[in-house]
Formats: sequence, structure tokens, C-alpha cells
Amino acid sequence: MSYNQRETPILAELCTFLVEDVYGELAARVYSVLARHGRQTLAAIARASYLNGRQIKYGLVILLQQHVIFHSGNDALVTYYEIDWQSSYALVRLGKVAKLVDDRFGSKAADVISHLLTFGHTRIADFKEAYFPADVASDDDSNDDIVNGTGLKRKRANGTHVNETSAKTNGIVNGVPSELEDVKPDPSSLTNGAHAANGISKSAKTNGNAHEIYMDGAVDLGDGLEKEDTAFASVDELYDVLQLLIQRGWVRTVTESQYLSPGDMHDKMQQETIDQEFSGSAPTGTKDKEKMHRAILQKKRHMRDQWLEVPRFSRKRSAETASQNGPNKRIKVNGVQHQPTAGAALPEDDLVIRVNPEKIAVAMRTEQLVQLVEQRLGSVTAHIYQIMLRMLENNTPRCYENLSEPPVAGEAANDIHLEPQLLVDARAIAKKLPRDFDVCEGLDPNAVVSITRRGHVRSSNVLSQPVDPNRIGMDHRTELVDKHIRLLAEDPLHFATWHSRAGFSQWHIEFDEIAKQLIQAEVENTIFARKGALGVKLIRALRKKGKLDERATCNAMMMSANDIRGIVNDLTVQGFVQTQEIPKVERREAKHSLHLVWYDRQRAREKLLHDTYKGMVRILQRIAFEREKIQPLLSKAERSDVIGNEEKWLSKGELDALQKWKEVQEKLLLQLFREDDLVATLRDFHGPLISV
Amino acid sequence: MAAPVAPSMVPKEEDATAQGPSNEIVSPADALYDKCAQRSQGTVFFQRDLSNMQVAETMAELTVLLQELCDRHLMKLMTLEGEPCWKLRSRSDADKLRRLTPDERLLYHHIDQVQAEGIWSKALRARTNVTQQVLTKCLKSLESKDLVQSVMSVKFPNRKMYLLKHLKPSEDIAGGPWQSDGDFDTALIDAISSAIAQHIENETCIKVPGNWNDYGQHDMAAEIAHKKAQVQGVQDIEDAPAVKPYQPPRDPSTSKLVHKNSPQYPTATSVATWLNSKEVLRGKTCREDDMEQLLEMMVLDGRLEKISGTNYRTVLSATDKTVYNGFVDAPCGNCPVFDLCSDEGEISARTCVYFGQWLETQSEEV
Repeated sequence: MSYNQRETPILAELCTFLVEDVYGELAARVYSVLARHGRQTLAAIARASYLNGRQIKYGLVILLQQHVIFHSGNDALVTYYEIDWQSSYALVRLGKVAKLVDDRFGSKAADVISHLLTFGHTRIADFKEAYFPADVASDDDSNDDIVNGTGLKRKRANGTHVNETSAKTNGIVNGVPSELEDVKPDPSSLTNGAHAANGISKSAKTNGNAHEIYMDGAVDLGDGLEKEDTAFASVDELYDVLQLLIQRGWVRTVTESQYLSPGDMHDKMQQETIDQEFSGSAPTGTKDKEKMHRAILQKKRHMRDQWLEVPRFSRKRSAETASQNGPNKRIKVNGVQHQPTAGAALPEDDLVIRVNPEKIAVAMRTEQLVQLVEQRLGSVTAHIYQIMLRMLENNTPRCYENLSEPPVAGEAANDIHLEPQLLVDARAIAKKLPRDFDVCEGLDPNAVVSITRRGHVRSSNVLSQPVDPNRIGMDHRTELVDKHIRLLAEDPLHFATWHSRAGFSQWHIEFDEIAKQLIQAEVENTIFARKGALGVKLIRALRKKGKLDERATCNAMMMSANDIRGIVNDLTVQGFVQTQEIPKVERREAKHSLHLVWYDRQRAREKLLHDTYKGMVRILQRIAFEREKIQPLLSKAERSDVIGNEEKWLSKGELDALQKWKEVQEKLLLQLFREDDLVATLRDFHGPLISV
Repeated sequence: MAAPVAPSMVPKEEDATAQGPSNEIVSPADALYDKCAQRSQGTVFFQRDLSNMQVAETMAELTVLLQELCDRHLMKLMTLEGEPCWKLRSRSDADKLRRLTPDERLLYHHIDQVQAEGIWSKALRARTNVTQQVLTKCLKSLESKDLVQSVMSVKFPNRKMYLLKHLKPSEDIAGGPWQSDGDFDTALIDAISSAIAQHIENETCIKVPGNWNDYGQHDMAAEIAHKKAQVQGVQDIEDAPAVKPYQPPRDPSTSKLVHKNSPQYPTATSVATWLNSKEVLRGKTCREDDMEQLLEMMVLDGRLEKISGTNYRTVLSATDKTVYNGFVDAPCGNCPVFDLCSDEGEISARTCVYFGQWLETQSEEV
């Protein structure tokens, strides 16, 4: 991964930074051991670090709560811990996720999601507890908690803060291996934990430093929070939001199998398959092996789909009956005492939920596609595309199928059958458009006239009878929307593909192809910024024609060799273009060799991804450096007597310096989030590309 | 093939007519030559044509006459579909040929055979089996006698191709209309591609003024009130966000390009026809292949985009801000020492001058 062997692999470095920022030093110490040494047991971590067993266990619990690491389960003698790189990296997206949810489901759902993100998986009952505290008297106490919380925020979220909340649930979730059970908290800390969560729900200010930093990304969200009332009016409303999020696939239930690393999962599935289908002995023949491979893949898919199954919600009954029936027994069994003051306990209260990371990628893909369309075809078409994509989003659990079966040899690829939920029609979109949306904008006036059949287009391309979008009938609206979708379909990127006539015109979207184009577009963007139009031209020529020697390159680009040589060299050095020398004679003379240049998009993609990770690390390092420079002032500003009286206790110069630090931090973080967008495009929207 | 022979034929004809009356006794061979010369230039004569000229009494005599003319290099023996045929050479050319050494003649013969395609000196040597010294000497003398010319091949830039002086090198070795002297004519390509870009834009796009659909005045106050109500009102979470799409200004003086509704997308053929009808390429015509090469290049340039297999259209961009991506817009993306940068040491995030410039803060001094 790294060019220089002395360096830590860049992703490990990045993720360690992120963990440290979000969960504090203890968790980061444990995490970095795992990052450097790979899969480890508890004892091995203890050997590799200077921490004692108890500290390590605390660290591991935090990491497990956040699903940043896997563990190998309770069945085996020793439990191994292993990093989940995807979700570790996802820490950078905390703020973005809240923003995405806010756009789609409103600020209340965003509030729920951001709490899920900060505290990792959470029991629904604890959610209820946090939003609707059991005893009203504790409200006074919670004020203290807020103070505590603010203190924590200044000190950066060190382990204890998160520990409380994590400890709160880990007794209930069996996801924590038995060897960590002794970190399980006593009942008093359990209530404390609830109070901490409570304090958080009261004010976003108490969320701790890390939370604050990454939530800064959602600037609009913050504004929205101020304007709209985020507090839930009733328990039912909270349940409604949770149910919606689960149904749409944004939140999923936590099961023990989600803690298995991909390797462990594979072993488990393989063993199951061997036991069930091959009566206990591993298959030897090629055919049997392939059969087993398919069976394993199918099991994995099944398991994954199970995670997303929506649990049955019982909440149609009235509160009284619910509290009298089943739940009582459950409460007794679990030995957890619920105070019935705020809503009755429900069977689903014991469900443990977490954010579904795959859905986040789907939503990010939507945003980026809309952005691209806005650049190419204008804002009106982009808005229509956004509606299209969001309608499809609900039925799209993930960006691409990573467990697809290899095609069966000899069997012709049967024509792609499209599920009806992957289709979207013009009429449905037209209905979703706001009344005063100017659907005509961005279209050829002639097209508008041909639909409305009123007036004509003057020679200056002005309509003789203007069309007020507020007064277009639904039929015409549909046709106009269809025109926009046709623009999308005609684009060389084929943003939409025609499917049938249902609902005036029905479309589907070939995400796979578009994702490839997106990756290519980002590579080209990068090269354009570095080397200008000439570099992009070279890349495109090579992509189209394959391996070229100098003369063929000149012909494709219609330029002289001298103009091209420099750019080929630069791009080769940067790793975007590969060169190859094929000797024609035995002596391998340079003169008698073919010198080919080619472009491999998978390599370019990986190289750019690697560089982007490195760029993100540098930004985080720079933030740390900038903070270090201003640290004395920051500690002063965070003193409890200074907070709120900044004008009084701080000099003009100090205030300016604080302001400057804020700007610098904001600028760096914004850039970090934009680099994350690039990472999403390069990594999350498409599986590995087959090299040419 | 035959056209370049013409200039040298003209004096010869005068010659013949001048000689005709003064010198009554013309040899039958010359008579035959003159008769042939009266036909249009470049004509190929078959035995049948020549006997019809009634110069020779018998077939045997005709054969002798033709042999004599061929020996004097006034005629050139060729075959067409297995049948022998003859072609005239101008007297001046024939004169030059007569003075050639046998080696030179041999080489000339081979160069003549390939016509406009030209022949590489190495291939020539392989065919004629002469030594390198002889080859160089003979080719030099042929060139100095204005019988052959050498051209640099476009396909193989280090090869010297030989062909007859009066011929125009074929496109294989001299390149298409976009090349001159074996190199791409950048100025010409720029000019032509701009013209083509404009042409395709006219075909596929339509310029729409800002006020094209002027459906009523916008009341700013009402709009603000509306927006407020939208933001404050309780929103159904099923709804799309209450953000109103950006309304472009309705200024009639501004205009923007949009894609035409069901246009005729140009193809290489149609653009080539258009270009040839404009006669922009002085004296040259642009074939379909040449045009395809140019259009494909413009696609690479990002000025055109390919719609389907053969159709092109203009690339439009709705926004004109230049934003690349998160990585290259940060200092690291364009950093010349990015690969040398490490966690600590002389080049690191702490000491980075580029970060310092970008953030307007101080970096650590090394």
C-alpha cells in the first residue's frame, strides 16, 4: 500500500486519527495496536501495549460498541479482535450522515441518527429513556449532567464519557464477548449513563468535542435545529421516526453475527455448508468446490438480508394494554426495571439498533449524481433527478452487489429482469414536484410549445405565450418531466434508461455504469487540476484506444510527439499512466523496442484513493498542529468562568485569534469532508474494476 | 497518375509538329509515337489500339516498332489484367532515362512501380540487391536529375520514402489533410476544429434568452413570505425538502444554451460534407476518415461528446465555476512534494508552506 516501507499503511494511520478524535486516547491506543498488528487476542494486545488489562477492556468495549472492530464470537476458546476498516473510516462521515437524514426525513430523524452515531448501537428502550426521562425529578440532576458534559467537551471525549453509555447497553446486547463482561457496569452507572444521554438530548452542546467537530459538517443541520423544534412531542412520535428509519433501511437491528469479521464469517458459513450439504467432509472435486462456493455466497447474502429485515412493530395497541401484556414478563426476565411514566414498555424496546453504513453510501451516491447533473444539465433537471433517485433509494439497500455469484459457464445470461421497485415513472415524479416548480426551465422552447400546444416560438427563441408552471395540468407536467428525463437519458453518461410506457414513461438507472463514469470523471478532474486539458486528453485517448506507442498516441491526439512526451512522463511519475517496453530483438536495445503507454482505471482509482487518504491524514495533522499552536488560549477560553463572558476576560487579540482558529478549523474540516466525498466515489459506489 | 506527365508533353507535341513538316522522313516508330501523342495524356494503349493506328503493316512490324520505342524509353510496357499495354513517356524524360547507368535504371524502374505509395530505401535495396554504396550513389544522382524525390514517411518517421518526382505522395506517407511536412498542422487543426465546434453547436443546441418564458412578475416580498411559511410550516417527512430551486434571473440580455429537442445529431459524414461545401481546406478535400479522426480528437478534448456510435454533440455545462474535487482543491492535491511528505521531518503537515499560504497561518520553521 505504501510506497515507503517505513510508513504505516495510510488507511491505518487515518483511521487511528479518526478514532482518537472521536473516542479519545484510550480507545485510540487499543485501536492502534490492532491497526499495527492485525488480528489479535486480548493477551496479545496487552503484550503489545503498555496498558493494563482493565484499560484494554474498556477500550475494546468502546470500539465494539461503535462497531469499529470485529470479534470472533464466544464459541471459540480465545476471542480475536480485528479492525473493521470500513466502519472505522465511516467515523469521518458522522456529520454528513446527519445531514443526509435531515434532508430526507427531517430534523427529528437527524437528531436520532446523530445520537445513534455518537453512541454506537443503542437499545430502543434507552432511546426512549434518553428522550423521555423516567422520573421527572431527575431533570434537576440532568442539569448537572449538562455541566459535566460541557466539561467533557472541553477535555475532548475521553473514554469515560462514552464508556458510560456503552456500558449501559452492553449488558443487554450479547455482542460483547464474555471476557469483557467484567467491565459491565453496576446498576448505578447504568442510570448515570441514561442521564448522560438525557443531557445530550437536551442540548447538542454536550455531545463532546468529537461529536461537535464532525457534526460541524452539517452546518445547515445546525441552522435547522435552531429553527425547528427537534424535541419529540410524544413517545409515539419517536417510535414513528425509528420505525420509518428502519423500514427505509437507514437503521438496522444489531445481531451477534454482525460482529464477525469477514474471514470469521466465511469460515462459519463454510463449516455450515460442509456440515449441511457435504455431510461433514470438505469437497474435493472442482465441481463440488464451486457448488460449495455458491452455497456460501448464498448463505452470506441471506444473512445480510436478514440484518435488514424490518422487525414487527407492536405499537398499534393502546398504551394500557401494552403495559399489561407480554412486556411485563419480559421486564421480569431481563430484570430491568422500567418506570412506566414515559410511555409504556413495548416488546421492541429490547431491539438494539445501529446505523446501516451501506445505506449511507447509497445516499451519498444520490447526492453526487445530482451534483453532477446540475453541472451538466442545470438545476431543474437535477432536481427532477434528485426526486427520481430518492424514490429509488428506499428500495436500494446497497450501491452494488458484492456477493454476486460467478456466472454459470454455458448458461446464456438471461435478460435482466428488473424488479418493479427499481423503476420510476414520469407521472410519479410529476406528482412529487412542488406546485410552483418551474418545470419548463432548462428545456428547448420548441419542446415546451410542442407539449402545451399554445402559441409559438419567436425567432429570438422567446415563447409568444409564456407558460406559468403553476397552471400546467398534470398531463402536461408529466410530459415536461419526461422531456427532462430524456435529457438525462441522452447524456453520454446515460443517467437514466428507458424501460416501458407505464406511467407515461418508466425508467431505471444503471448505477453500475454510471459509477464507473463517476470514478473516471474524478480521475480526470484530478488530472485536469494538476496537468490541465492536455493530461486529460491523454488519459481519454489511452482509455479509448488501449495500449499505444508514441506514434499512435500522436495520431489519436493529433499532436506532435514533442508536445506529448512531457505529459506522458509527468503522469507516469504520478502513477496515473503505465509504461511498458517490449523488445523486438534479442539484444533489448531501446532503439529496437516498442514503448507502450497505457491507462488502467483500477490502478488510477487505487492510486487516487491512496493519495486522498494521505491528503486526509495531512489535514487532520494540520488541524492538530493548528490547535497545538493555540492551545494555551483555548484552555483559557474553556475555563468555566470565561465561557459566556469571553468579551470580559479575553483581550481583543485573543478573540481575534480564537476567531481565526475557528475559521481555519472550519476550512480544514470542510476540505476533509469533501475529500471524503471523493473517497465515496472512488471506493463505495462500485466494486473492483476489471483491468483492460 | 497521368496528369503530371502533361507539362512535359506539351513541348514534345510542338516538337513533333515542328519536326513533321521540316523532316519529311519520319521513322515509323516516331510516327507511331506521334500518333499516340495526339490522344489525351496518360492514355494507355493496347495492341489493338496501336494496330488500328495503321502505322505498322503487320503485327510483326508493330512488335518491332514497339520494341524500338521501348528501348528508347519513349514507351513504357505495362500489363493490365494480364494483357500487355503501353504508355507514353515524354521525350525529355526519355532523354534523361537514356543517360542513366544500368543500376540507376533498375532503381528507377522499381521506384516507378510503386507509384505514389513510395518505397523505402531498405526495401529498394532488398528488391534490387545492389550494395549500399551503389544505392546511395544512384539515388543521389536520380534525385539530382529530377527524376525521383524523397519524402519522410508519416507512419515511420525515420524512413525515407522514394517516389517519382512528378507524383504527389500518397496520404499513407504524407498524412491526411491535417498534416503538413509529416507533422500535425496545429494551427490548421485549431482553426478547423473551432469552426466545426461552432457548426455542431448550431446543429445540436439552442440559445435561449433569459426571458424566454416570461410568465408574470416576481414579487420578492411575497416570495420571501412564502419561503418563510415553507420553512416554518410542519413538513411531511415524505415530501421533498422545502428548498425552492434556484431561479435563474430573467434578464433578457443573458442567454444560455440548452440541448435542442430531438435534433439531427451530426455524424462524421455530415460534418465532412459540410466542411467540403464550405471549401475551407484550400484545395484539399476532407474524407470521412479524416473527419472522424478530427471529431474523435475533439471528443478527447472535451469539446464534443459522443451520443451514440456515430453521433456527436456539443458539451454543455450549466455552471461555469471551476471546482475539481476535495483532494485537488486542497493543497495536498497539487503538492509538488506530496510523495516526499511524511508524518514528521522536513516535509510534513506541520512545516507545510502550502498549508500556511492556504490557511494564512504560520507553519513551523524547519
